[in-house]
Amino acid sequence: MKRLLGVALGILTAIGGFLDIGDLVTNAVVGSRFGLTLAWAVLVGVVGICLFAQMSGRVAAVSGRATFEIIRERLGPRTAGANLVASFLINLLTLTAEVGGIALALQLASSVEPRLWIPVAALAVWLVIWRTKFTIMENVTGLVGLSLVVFAVAVFQLGPDWSALAEQALSPTVPAQEGGASYWYYAIALFGAAMTPYEVFFFSSGAREERWTAKDIAESRLNVMVGFPFGGVLSVAIAACGAIVFLPQAIEVSSLSQIVLPVALAGGKLALAVVIVGIVAATFGAALETGLSSGYTLAQYFGWSWGKFRRPAQAARFHLSMIIAMLVAVAVLMTSVDPIRVTEFSVVFSAVALPLTYLPILLVANDPEYMGEHVNGRATNALGLVYLVVIVVASVAAIPLMIVTGAGS
Amino acid sequence: MSPRIRRSARPFPPDETLPEPARPPGLVLDAQLHLLDRQTLDVDGVPVSTVDDLEIGPHESTALHGSDTVHVTGLLYGPVSVTRVFGGRPPASRLHRVDWRHVTDVGTTIRLGVHGDSLDVLWLERWVRDRVIGRIPGGRHDPR
Amino acid sequence: MILGDLLDSPVVDPAGRALGFVVDVRLVLDGPVEGLLAAPRVHGLLVSPRTRTSFLGYERTGVRAPALLARYLRWRHRGSFLVHWTDVDVASAEGVALVEGYRRWSPAMFGAAHQRP
Repeated sequence: MKRLLGVALGILTAIGGFLDIGDLVTNAVVGSRFGLTLAWAVLVGVVGICLFAQMSGRVAAVSGRATFEIIRERLGPRTAGANLVASFLINLLTLTAEVGGIALALQLASSVEPRLWIPVAALAVWLVIWRTKFTIMENVTGLVGLSLVVFAVAVFQLGPDWSALAEQALSPTVPAQEGGASYWYYAIALFGAAMTPYEVFFFSSGAREERWTAKDIAESRLNVMVGFPFGGVLSVAIAACGAIVFLPQAIEVSSLSQIVLPVALAGGKLALAVVIVGIVAATFGAALETGLSSGYTLAQYFGWSWGKFRRPAQAARFHLSMIIAMLVAVAVLMTSVDPIRVTEFSVVFSAVALPLTYLPILLVANDPEYMGEHVNGRATNALGLVYLVVIVVASVAAIPLMIVTGAGS
Repeated sequence: MSPRIRRSARPFPPDETLPEPARPPGLVLDAQLHLLDRQTLDVDGVPVSTVDDLEIGPHESTALHGSDTVHVTGLLYGPVSVTRVFGGRPPASRLHRVDWRHVTDVGTTIRLGVHGDSLDVLWLERWVRDRVIGRIPGGRHDPR
Repeated sequence: MILGDLLDSPVVDPAGRALGFVVDVRLVLDGPVEGLLAAPRVHGLLVSPRTRTSFLGYERTGVRAPALLARYLRWRHRGSFLVHWTDVDVASAEGVALVEGYRRWSPAMFGAAHQRP
């Protein structure tokens, strides 16, 4: 059990990273329109985030420096400031979407209008950020979020045509009714979802919250190798559910209630209850992750005192900035904006933040002044450079593709 | 394109090997590489701020001469983010100064030998603590 | 004076020829000890044909990984050199003028990574 809890940080980071409300819907949409022909994009993204999360976790453990501190040191205040603006907007947009997502998931369970749930959800998220110990927060959310595995179970229960699924995944082609531009837009969206910068901000700051040192590098690696692939498998499972249930009838997926339909078909009311619990936990975890990341990025850029391991009075500006972020999120949601559409715009800011986040990590992971003997090996560097190129290409192509395809519609 | 010397106007061949200078006794640091934008921690390890600039030479001097020995006299903190983007510099009154004699270590962070509470640069932190966070229930609760 | 004013300022030789821009200031901790550490003395200026201060210092620290990035960044700042503070005539926010007979040195730092315990 302790071993399982030891990887809670990795699982929570992954859940909040690519199983948040926006990605739940995106995965289902991708499955319903492209089948599993985009599974390779999830794989590429998962390998990438494993690589960089492991580097940033190692840097945080060995040198005691969290990722955004390093970004400012390496890039200087101007370029790091650009990254800060982009990352903060991503965090804020995603936080808004997640709080909205919690409300939507609670609506599924209770049929109470989401706008009534929004202040409740926001208050609950803030109370956890304000008061709960970091380890308790990650253990509970991580454990409960594991119930999303019911999506994978549903894939088996639905008795699909395995050879057809395998063919889609292993020899991907653009489906006849879709355009090449939409295909690549979703490929970048899936890749970007797996590699969203706030995952490394949260993971490396979490490493500091847990006081990891050089002795904990193995634990950091375990967190990464368990958490992110788990998230990737579930992403593909959600897409598979969409491929099995919606693709044959070309049904358009756009709402949360449609996403849980395959699970209900596979396992009835019990499975439905489990998946709703899982979605509430996942969106709650994502709200915590993005809420805390808003605080972490600001505090680390400006050099403020930060951390849940400190009493709030000793990290005053850190907590105040998160309170303000929550208030802005609630205000935006009360205008009845669709939370899921909100996340589509964060793709734009990811385009700026992605390369400016990962380059400094790669550089510092090689710097013996920070890392001593724990610098990157040659294989890690080679893979890191390849991924840096992929990241730059994805970030450059994201906005034009978004415009051309009308955000994938 | 940032200002640079055009290749045709370069005064020296770019690939010449220059002699290595004599190694001076004492720790060698490059200001931009090792001091600027580094996190400053107080004596208890509590973050103070990131170093925004350094003061060299006599206070309020505008020009320095190579014939004089010039020292770094203090670390400077202030609202430079906006001015770095748009140009200019905050007035000296907005820049908080910490004397170099309070510095006890320079590594990946800069450590001071004094408490953060005694530093002007943390006035905003104290203000937010007293006016906002301290007033919310649980604000002074120790999470451990 | 504020050190940031010196960074990115143009450097000219006694004849007025542009030599580059100040990208960093080399300090040596051998000044008077008032607290725990010696005060840093301005030892020299690092001049490069480009500004946008080489925030990574690859041309100075001898860190060679990741290989391709290190080589590219070193190439970008080739032609950088160090001048001793004693070879400077006047330094201000408007620019730096060097004295007659100034010498240029390699910008490398000595085993920088291993100097610190």
